[in-house]
Amino acid sequence: MPDLSSPTSNLPLTGIRILDLTMVWAGPSGTRLLADMGAEVIKVESARSWDMLRSLHFLSGPPEQWWDKAAYFNHNNRNKYGITLDLQTPRGRELALRLAAMSDVVFENYRADVIGKLGLDYADLRAVKDDIILVSMPSHGKSGPESGNVAYGTNVEQLAGLASLTGYPGMGPHKSPIAYGDPNAGAIAAAAALAALLHRRETGEGQHVEVAQWEAMIGNVGEFVLAWQMALADDPAADIDAWSERQRHGNRHFSRLQGVFACTGEDEWVAVSIGTDAEFSALCEAIGRPELARDARFADVVSRRHHQDELDATIVAWTRGRSQDEAADTLQAAGVAAAPVLKLQRLLYDRNLRARGFWETVSHAAAGEWDMEGPVWRMSRTPAHVRISAPMFGEHNRWVLGELLGLSEAEIAALEAEHVTAREPQAGVHS
Amino acid sequence: MTPPLSSLRILDLTSGVSGPWCTKLLADYGADVIKVERPGTGDESRGHGPFTGGVPDRERSALFLWLNTSKRSITLDVQTPTGRDLALRLAAQCDAVVVDRSSHELERLRLNHEDFAAVNPSIVTTSVTAFGLTGPYADWRATNLTSYATGGQHYLTGDGDREPIQNGGYHALYQAGTWAFGATLAAVWNARETGVGQRAEVAGQEVMASILEIYMPDFAYRKAETLLTRRGNMATAVVGIYPVIDGHIGIHAMPKNWPQLLDSLDMHWMAEDERFKDNRARLRNNDELMAQLYIWTAGVTKAEAYERGGRYRAPISPVNTMADLLASPHLDARQFCREIEHPAAGAMQYPGSPARMPATPPQVRPAPLLGQHNAEVYDELGLMARDLATLAAAGVI
Repeated sequence: MPDLSSPTSNLPLTGIRILDLTMVWAGPSGTRLLADMGAEVIKVESARSWDMLRSLHFLSGPPEQWWDKAAYFNHNNRNKYGITLDLQTPRGRELALRLAAMSDVVFENYRADVIGKLGLDYADLRAVKDDIILVSMPSHGKSGPESGNVAYGTNVEQLAGLASLTGYPGMGPHKSPIAYGDPNAGAIAAAAALAALLHRRETGEGQHVEVAQWEAMIGNVGEFVLAWQMALADDPAADIDAWSERQRHGNRHFSRLQGVFACTGEDEWVAVSIGTDAEFSALCEAIGRPELARDARFADVVSRRHHQDELDATIVAWTRGRSQDEAADTLQAAGVAAAPVLKLQRLLYDRNLRARGFWETVSHAAAGEWDMEGPVWRMSRTPAHVRISAPMFGEHNRWVLGELLGLSEAEIAALEAEHVTAREPQAGVHS
Repeated sequence: MTPPLSSLRILDLTSGVSGPWCTKLLADYGADVIKVERPGTGDESRGHGPFTGGVPDRERSALFLWLNTSKRSITLDVQTPTGRDLALRLAAQCDAVVVDRSSHELERLRLNHEDFAAVNPSIVTTSVTAFGLTGPYADWRATNLTSYATGGQHYLTGDGDREPIQNGGYHALYQAGTWAFGATLAAVWNARETGVGQRAEVAGQEVMASILEIYMPDFAYRKAETLLTRRGNMATAVVGIYPVIDGHIGIHAMPKNWPQLLDSLDMHWMAEDERFKDNRARLRNNDELMAQLYIWTAGVTKAEAYERGGRYRAPISPVNTMADLLASPHLDARQFCREIEHPAAGAMQYPGSPARMPATPPQVRPAPLLGQHNAEVYDELGLMARDLATLAAAGVI
C-alpha cells in the first residue's frame, strides 16, 4: 500500500482515478492540480521513457539515486503514485489498458502521433472502458497541417502571439523566463477533465478532450486579437509590425501611470500602478510632493501619460531612498496600488504567503526535507495539503501491480525480468 | 450535443479580468452565467479601450467583448439591501457564485460564503483575488502589475542590466481566472457528490508563485541562487528568440532535439565539432553556438524557419503577431477562430476555446449588452414588469 497516513476521504476529488502518461511540465502540472484535490493519480514511466525532469537536479556528482532528487520533478509530482511500465512492449500495453479500465481519466502529452503508435488512443481505451475520458495535450493539436510539429513552453507563447506583445519600449519581442505554455495548458487541461467528468455524471458519456497548447494560450491574449481587427477596420493600411511594437511598452499601460521603480538594495524594485485622479493625489501626498496633484501637466489621465517620463523621475527620486517593502507599505497605506517586485529568494519568505501557510515542509525518503508550494485551490471545507511526496522511480509498482491489478509475486518478478518494469531509469536518455 | 457544463448555473459578481475570464470559460462551456453589473456603468472593462469605431462606447470594448461571451447580463446594485436580497435569491438557484472582492468588503456587503450557504447549502463560492482573503496583503490595492510583481515571474522577466518587465496583456489576472475556473469545477463536483458546498479560494500571487518552472523548486531545495537572474531573451543559445529577415523566431531545443535541430539548420558539421559534441560542451561554448545560430537566422524568414522546424521535427516557431494568428493555415484548417456577430460591435473573429471537447462542443454567444437580460432573468425570479420599473426608478437595477 502507498503511504495513506493522511486520509484522502475528505478531499474534493476523492474516488477519481487518473492514469497519467504525461511527462515534463504541461501534463504533470495539470494532473498535479487534480492529485492535490484528492484524485488518485498513477504516473507511468519506464526505463527507456522516463520523466526528463528527473535529470534536471543540478546536484554535483551526480549523487546516488539522482533520479529521485530533482526538486523540479518532486514539486510537480507530489501527491501522485508512480509505477514503471514499458508501454512499447505488448505486456506493458496490456497492463496499461487494464489500468485504464479501472480509471476515470487518462492524461497524455505526447507528440500528436505517439499515443496512436502505442495503441493507446481513445478508441483503444474506449474498447476497455466505454465512458473513459482521455485528455490529450499535443502542442499543435491532433489535426491540421502542422500537427506533426514539435514545440515546448516558450515556443507555445511565441506561436500564440504573446511574445510579440511583450518587450521593452522600442525593442523586439521578449520571452517569458519560464516555459509559460506548460502550466497554462496544464491548468486548462485539469479544468477540462473536470468539465468532462461533470458531463459524464449527467449523461454517462465519456469523451476525448484535446488541449492544443498553442490554442490554449491564445485566449490569454484574446482582447489583442479583437483589438487588431478594430485597428484594421479603422485603417485598412494599418501595419501589424508597427502596431505590435506599440503594444510592447514594458511595465507601462495605455491608461494607467505605472512602472517599476528602483529602491535601496541591489536590483530591488517596487511596482506602482495609478489609475484615478484620487490615486494620483494620494501618490503625490505620500511622496511628499502634494503640489504635483495641482500641476496642469499632470491634471488628468491623458496628461499624466504624456508626461510619464517626468513623473517616473519624480517617483524614483522618492523610492531610491527606501526599501521595496517600505515603499510598498507607504503607498498602500495612502491608497495606491504598489507592491515589491519579489526576488525568488524573498518570495519563499514573503510575509503574505507565510501568513497564509502557502509553503509546506515536505519530507521525501530520498531527497530529504524542504519547503514546497501547497495546493493553490484552497477549499474551506475540504482543505488540501501535500499528503505524499513525489514517487521515487517505480515506487508504487508493487501496490499497483499486486493490489490493484492482482498480479502474483511470480508475475511481478517476471515483469521485471522481462524489463517491462524497472527499478532504475536508463542513463543517457535525456542527455 | 450539449456543452459539458449545461447543467450548471453561475452567479457572477465580478468585474475586470480575473473573475470575468473564469466565468467566460464556464459560460462558453455551457454554464448559464448571470453576470451582475453595476447599474449605469457596468463592468469596469466596458470602459477599457480600444473600441470598435475608435470612440469610447460601453458596448464596443475589445476587452469586455472578449471576456464576457455567452453570459447573460443583469444590472443590480448589490450595495443596496434590495439588491443584496435579489442577489441571494439568485444564488439560491445557482451551483456557484464567483466573487472578486476582499473579505472586508464581502463582510460589509454581507455577501460571504456563509450568507450564500444560508440560502443554498450546496453552493460553491469561488473567491478570486490578487492576494487572498487572509494575510497582510488582503486589503492591498492590486492591478495586474502588482500581481505579476509579487508572484516571482516579474523579477525574472527582462534583461539583466535593465529593469524587470511584465509580459504583454494581463497574464497574472488571466492565470488567476483560469485557476478559479478549475477550482470552481472541483468544488462543484464535490458539492454534487456530497450535497454540501464550500468556498473555493484562488489568490493570484499563489498561482504565479506555483508556476515558476524549475526556478522556485530548485531554489527552495538547494538554496543556490545560480538560476535566479534575469537572462533576457536567451536562456541558452538553443532556448531563445532570434531575429530573422521579416521578424523573429523562437527555438526551444532540449538535448534530445539536437539532431533534429541540426537537420533543420543544415549544419551537420556541428555534430562532429568538439565544441558542440554534447549538451555539456554546448553549454560551455554557448556564445559560439549562439553566433552560429545568428548566422543561420539572419538568412531565413519566419515561414522558412518554421517550415524547416516542422519538416525535421525541431522545436522552432515563429513569433506570431495577431495578424499571423488570423492568417494561420493550421488554425484555419482546425477552424479555431469563430466569427461572432455582436449587435453593437459588429462581426469579428474570436479565438476558440482553450480545450476542444468535440463530443460536447462549446456554444459561444456574443457578450451581452448592459442589462440585456434583465427582463428574462428577473422574470425567472418571479418579478413582474412593474416591479422592474420600481427597481429601476430606485436605482437598484
